[in-house]
Amino acid sequence: MKTLELKLKEILEVDEIDNSDILEDFDEWDSLTILTIIATVDSEYGIQIDSNDLDKATTIGELYSLIESKLK
Amino acid sequence: MKYVFANKRITGILSILPPNEVKFEDEIDNYNFSRKQSLKLSKIMGFGTRRIADEDTTISDLCIYGLRYLFENNLLKKDSIDALILVTQTPDHFLPPTSNIISGKLKLSEEVLCLDINQGCAGYEIGLLQAYLLLDQPNVNKVVLLNADVLSRKVSKNDRNSRPLVGDGASVTIIEQDKSAKELNVYVKMNGESAFAIQVPAGGFRLPSSPLTSVLEKDNSGNERSLDNLVMKGDAVFNFVQNKIPEMIDYIFKDLAISDEDIDYYLFHQPNKFMLEKLAEKMKIAFDKMPNNIVGKYGNGSGITVPLNICENLNLKLKKKSLNVILGGFGVGLTWSMIVCQLTDLKFCKIINYQKL
Repeated sequence: MKTLELKLKEILEVDEIDNSDILEDFDEWDSLTILTIIATVDSEYGIQIDSNDLDKATTIGELYSLIESKLK
Repeated sequence: MKYVFANKRITGILSILPPNEVKFEDEIDNYNFSRKQSLKLSKIMGFGTRRIADEDTTISDLCIYGLRYLFENNLLKKDSIDALILVTQTPDHFLPPTSNIISGKLKLSEEVLCLDINQGCAGYEIGLLQAYLLLDQPNVNKVVLLNADVLSRKVSKNDRNSRPLVGDGASVTIIEQDKSAKELNVYVKMNGESAFAIQVPAGGFRLPSSPLTSVLEKDNSGNERSLDNLVMKGDAVFNFVQNKIPEMIDYIFKDLAISDEDIDYYLFHQPNKFMLEKLAEKMKIAFDKMPNNIVGKYGNGSGITVPLNICENLNLKLKKKSLNVILGGFGVGLTWSMIVCQLTDLKFCKIINYQKL
């Protein structure tokens, strides 16, 4: 998840992220960011998540869990 | 399904664009997005300018203008046409078929078969498939394929999801018998379970347009649209394309025992710059083999992006040599389709501006 962490920091335009950070609280959190995350997860891990999946994740930690659950 | 054809090929392509050019920047204030967000959006998606038809210009106007241009410049003989296939999502009327209206206005022969097909972003490939099927008949020598849409009128001004990418226009493609033509392979798949991923909810017989269907409502992302407007599940469509297109290309390479080296160009439908770049990355195809400059210059005009792409990018190259290409479309239906063929010796391959007569 290290690469993903780097990518997320880049997408969200922040220096640090923590598992407890609330996704909606990021200034950059909008529909474009969501699409960029969907595309990044597809190109990095070859798995597909959609905005319904993302709606269920509230925090960075939950986003990681969502991706891990799809990887299995 | 795979379809195989011989002895037929595309012999000319003309694109007809409305002259009105709209800039993305001029519409930023319509969207529920900050200026910074909008600029980021336009950079990633590749939004620039797009061509939009006037309120009173319909697809038959664009098609008739293009066909008259070909008649007047001796590029197409009126009495050589055996069939007129029109692929559109924005017909002039529910009935009669718009292809019949076009045939009538141009005084084409009663022998000419007129056929409207309702298809969108894969409309070029589906139209070509229909043309090839007709050309398998011994009496059919020349088919005119029209692709035309004025979908911008169905997109809400306050919908940054679809508005900044949709453009209008038409194209005329001539397909004819040619004994020296190379074999053609057409691949088509459809998934009706996802039919509503791209739709206009109201205006048909299931839900006729009414004052209620024209009321704008805000979605979760702050976009406003009514039931009369086009609505697209962007993420579902993105995943569909990233999933199904590489799968189909892999299948085609195996099926025809070819590889990326055998293909000069991938002439794919262009939904937006982002989607095509991600697709090229995923399939490890060089960006310069998959031209991606149509949406930012003219907008995404559904079925016309592929012929427009050929006119814009390959006109000069085709004058010098033949090109082995894969034409690809994906979208409404959901439909995805690829045609592996050779483009060669086009009698015409150009873009003209529509003028009101």
